[in-house]
Amino acid sequence: MSDQPRNETPASVAELQAQLRAAGYLASRGLATAALIGMRLGRPILLEGEVGVGKTEMAKCLAEIGGQQLIRLQCYEGIDTYQALYEWDYARQMLHVRALSESELTDAGAVSGLYGPEFLIERPLLSAIKAGSSAVLLIDEVDRADDEFEAFLLELLSDFQITIPELGTVTAASRPMVVLTSNRTRELHDALKRRCLYHWIGYPSFEEEIEIVRLRAPDAVATLAHEVVAAVQRLRDMDLAKPPGVAETLDWVDALGVLGTDDLDAAAAADTIGAVIKDRDDLELVEAELDRVVADA
Amino acid sequence: MPDVGRAAEAVASTPPMEFVARLVGFGHALRDEGLPVGSDDVVTFCSAVSELTPSDLEDVYWSGRTTLVHRRDHLALYDEVFRRYFLGHPAPADPEPSESEPIAQGLSGTLNVPDIEPGTQSGDDRPMVLGRQASGVQIQRDKRFAECTPTELAALRRIMAQVRLEPPRRRTRRRRTDPSGARLDIRRIARDAMRLSHAAPVLHRVTRAERARPLVLILDISGSMADYSRNLLQFAYSMRRAAQKVEVFCFGTRLTRITPALDRRNPDDAMKLAAARVLDWDGGTRIGASLDSFIRRWGRKGLSRGATVVICSDGLDRGEPAALASAMERLSRLCHRIIWMNPLVGDNADTPPSTLGMMAAGPFIDTLESGHDLASLEQFAAKLAHVG
Repeated sequence: MSDQPRNETPASVAELQAQLRAAGYLASRGLATAALIGMRLGRPILLEGEVGVGKTEMAKCLAEIGGQQLIRLQCYEGIDTYQALYEWDYARQMLHVRALSESELTDAGAVSGLYGPEFLIERPLLSAIKAGSSAVLLIDEVDRADDEFEAFLLELLSDFQITIPELGTVTAASRPMVVLTSNRTRELHDALKRRCLYHWIGYPSFEEEIEIVRLRAPDAVATLAHEVVAAVQRLRDMDLAKPPGVAETLDWVDALGVLGTDDLDAAAAADTIGAVIKDRDDLELVEAELDRVVADA
Repeated sequence: MPDVGRAAEAVASTPPMEFVARLVGFGHALRDEGLPVGSDDVVTFCSAVSELTPSDLEDVYWSGRTTLVHRRDHLALYDEVFRRYFLGHPAPADPEPSESEPIAQGLSGTLNVPDIEPGTQSGDDRPMVLGRQASGVQIQRDKRFAECTPTELAALRRIMAQVRLEPPRRRTRRRRTDPSGARLDIRRIARDAMRLSHAAPVLHRVTRAERARPLVLILDISGSMADYSRNLLQFAYSMRRAAQKVEVFCFGTRLTRITPALDRRNPDDAMKLAAARVLDWDGGTRIGASLDSFIRRWGRKGLSRGATVVICSDGLDRGEPAALASAMERLSRLCHRIIWMNPLVGDNADTPPSTLGMMAAGPFIDTLESGHDLASLEQFAAKLAHVG
């Protein structure tokens, strides 16, 4: 956790990069620039990239360095406003009515009391609006939600207010920082994209990935980190259906660490390949060429 | 990342107003190259730069990249315009490899499908022998279609209406009110009972809601399918216009996604655009490799999940039958149903043609259809809701 006071944005891109680094995230200049502009202008950031390159992690680290709460909305097909915004707790309302005596029920206040805040189940978007700038709202894998949900998000992200018929309008006192991630399984609507700052996160270079491994797995032996990263980079060059992301690199280092291996040879790689390759067809392809993959550069 | 060191001082010394003009000019330069840069984007760009260090060209680069570009495909063009505009690099020798050019020139692959039944069509210069393999030649050429005839337009409209009426559906996890549903809607009953405290409770019932099922069309536009490709494209256009969640791909020796091209109101425009996107008209066929690249680029990411996949091909494949079989196997695991439309089937769907490709793909096909002309495609559209 940094000593930065809450809600104060870092002075420069370099400072933000340093803070993220302290939180264990190696952000490229472009990513840090996008994040800083997003903070200053109050715009959502849309992060796109291959699987496992640290899109979700970025939001977590941003929340951490700002001392903010992370509110996460995981999108999925068929998600609707009840799961994203709020829902009335009918069961509790029923119990409450039961508990009231006949005379209390005739009281006009009793019924309106049923629609009080204690019967409202807050879902992530409402929580984020209430929390305002003390939260980072992560809308994860927005490409999985349906188009209609996207249109709804568009409306929400422009006003940051929600009207609950029984309670009235809730408006964010200050805007939360919003990070959207997409794996690009489908093209998002241009209208939503226009509202966001866009950044594509690619696979890191060899040097960057070594930095990341050193940052996230400080206990790993330096030579092992080197060998694993070199092997993963070679795997990415192969024609795999599912190339390993940075998350897989870290998993592999961890897996080798558990086994107490200091040196990545073909035997050790064969034992732990399941940490990086998670597709049967890919596995066949890689196993045939394992010697080449782990060969010293 | 462009080399940004040199021009940094030049930008720093310009006064603010001029500097803003320079930034706006950059927005215009991007727009001239065809990037969709709106005025609001430019405003965001300027305020983003003023939040950072305007004298640092690297900040200018990254803030422009995050505010003016909205999709990954545009990044390369952005880099190029940035280099030219801020660093004075010359434009590349061939500034736009124009996509429209080949359409204008190419008459080589023109199809003359008259508006009669293909069965009565004469001039069959491409005899097709079952069991043979397609040519492996990788020809890249373009194609120009004649405008749709009134008969065809009417058929297209009928397909659209049919599909709008009855798209393939799947059940969702959500429920909707249905008087004859199997489950009771306890919540609603409780809510009602609460409101009408003493009246006898009314039983509300629910059933599973349905949604349109995604539809993926994969069209073979290789040489052996030349007689049918026009109708297939028209069919794809109608489906795209009529239903939600329709994706269209073409392949001969390579796979091309033509979904965006079909989003035109006018069918002739849509077909023209789609034709311009595909580079391997009437060439060889590599079904296995094309399906494999579909799976890798789109299928695995979820595009075909729960979808009805319609492959339109005669199965005359030049590639390895094993490659086709393994691609089909993987595809069958990634989608809901595979429908194969083979024009060679004609009107007798019970005897599948014995091309090598069909034999390899056979075990993974759920339904085999014909689709040799617009009329049979129309029939197919009508029963899509049931076979899918």
